[in-house]
Amino acid sequence: MLSKHVYKQLSAYCHGELSSEEAQRVAEHLRGCERCRKEHEEIKLGIFFAQQLTRLPAPASLWDEIETALNQQPTPASWRLKFPRLAFAFAWPRLATAVAVLLVLSVGSVWFYLRLSRPAWDVEMIEGYAQVGSQRIGENGKLAVGQWLKTGDDSRARLSVGEIGHVELAPNTRLRLDESRSDDHRVTLERGTMYATIDAPPRAFSVATPSAVAVDLGCAYTLEVDESGAGLLSVTFGWVAFEVEGRESFIPRFAECHTRPGSGPGTPYYKEASASFKVALSKLDFQKLSAAEREAALTTVLSEARKEDAFTLWHLLTRTSGGERERVYDRLAALVPPPSGVTRDGVLQGDRPMLDRWWDELGLDTASWWRMWKGPWPPQTK
Amino acid sequence: MEPSAAMSERTSERRLIEACQRDDREAFRLLFEAHKDRVYSIAFHFSRNETAARDITQQVFLKLFTTIRQFRHDAEFTTWLYRLVANVCMDEQRKNRRFIPFGEATEVTEIAERKSQETHFIRRELAESVQAVIAELKPKLRMAILLKYFEEMSYEEMAKVLGCSPGTVASRLNRGHKILARRLAHLRGQFVTEE
Repeated sequence: MLSKHVYKQLSAYCHGELSSEEAQRVAEHLRGCERCRKEHEEIKLGIFFAQQLTRLPAPASLWDEIETALNQQPTPASWRLKFPRLAFAFAWPRLATAVAVLLVLSVGSVWFYLRLSRPAWDVEMIEGYAQVGSQRIGENGKLAVGQWLKTGDDSRARLSVGEIGHVELAPNTRLRLDESRSDDHRVTLERGTMYATIDAPPRAFSVATPSAVAVDLGCAYTLEVDESGAGLLSVTFGWVAFEVEGRESFIPRFAECHTRPGSGPGTPYYKEASASFKVALSKLDFQKLSAAEREAALTTVLSEARKEDAFTLWHLLTRTSGGERERVYDRLAALVPPPSGVTRDGVLQGDRPMLDRWWDELGLDTASWWRMWKGPWPPQTK
Repeated sequence: MEPSAAMSERTSERRLIEACQRDDREAFRLLFEAHKDRVYSIAFHFSRNETAARDITQQVFLKLFTTIRQFRHDAEFTTWLYRLVANVCMDEQRKNRRFIPFGEATEVTEIAERKSQETHFIRRELAESVQAVIAELKPKLRMAILLKYFEEMSYEEMAKVLGCSPGTVASRLNRGHKILARRLAHLRGQFVTEE
């Protein structure tokens, strides 16, 4: 029996973008399916034509034009020089009139804004239909604060997150818009998959799931939630914090983090870490283990950890205690020696400034950067 | 590229960007020289209009230079640059109706036609036909094709630039390739020859 048709994957197949398993499945399917073979020929022809595009040299005079425009750009320094002259240029009666007009315009604008702008996001359907409340959306629509949006089996939607980015929803996703203000955009992802691209100051966008809240620190990421409420957050760009009730995980790009109802976010890890490392980490995070099983899982994590995995071990320091924390400390110190002033005793006692200073040695952003947005350590963290 | 060569290129680009962040005008010029042809080519093939391509390229570099202090090195510089290119192209498309369809001769076409070598002419004709069909694609499909074939970006990189998922990139490229194949089916002979 033939497997599912593969025509949607053919460009990715030709560009070598599929995993080896997927590519093998496509190749096998093509051998047995004439329809997909014809599509494959068509895609290859399209690729050949696209490859005929030629690069053109930029006009030689372009730099001069850009430099001229750059010279005309006001700089903060030039503003400071001009401002006193502007102030003296106004006679007091004119200034008073201008202020009055500005005041009236401002009040009018605020009134107009409050009256006409209801917080809502634009919805654009990429494929199929979606449901907002009881209304079906075919091509474009709006999602207002408090409303649920649900995509169907074959539909995908794209939402504009105010002026700061986009969220794309995969099929069978249910999402509610909870808040939409210029500095605070919040949604709830009940189930399904969303892909977010946000270009804004940290904490301007957050997503609540049944077991943790994903807080954007300026990034692109994929967040999946299954029927049980368990989630997986995978970062492709920037940083995301995953947190619930004082338990927090910081996830850099190319890393991911699971979350489970009742447990909250697990320990983040790089996707390229070894399979046994990830399995053992998952056991430590989410399974009830006997003392022997727990020791075996920790041994695997520590022995498989590479230098890049130091950030995972750093997180484990705050999630272990006693002898386990000592073992994590020793392995982390072997991979990334603690800076001067960070002592074994201090770290084992959970000294937070010391933990932050050790974080700074990991080659990721400094702790002070994300503490500035995140605030101090959560009170429950030990 | 060898890993060490790639690393050295990244290091020198990082230094160049840091110099730009200190308002070093010579560094701006070097950064412009490094990327100008690719940016201009995308702008030209997107707009099919030389004046518009100049405007787009100028806007991209002005925006780049005036905002480069915000660039943090945790992202790829090219992702940042081509996000700007895509945004400016899309904005121009919305604002402006001057992007002319294929058929109205441009200076580039005239220069090409004066060159009479037959092989060159056939290749040129093929390239011009491709450009014409690309110019008629919907802007989102057009931009996906241009980023793929001028920048050789991966789907994941393109997804970051275009603010969508890699799945959407795959879907846009698939649709673009099919349209190219169908509208240029009469030139299929060129494909066989080239293969």
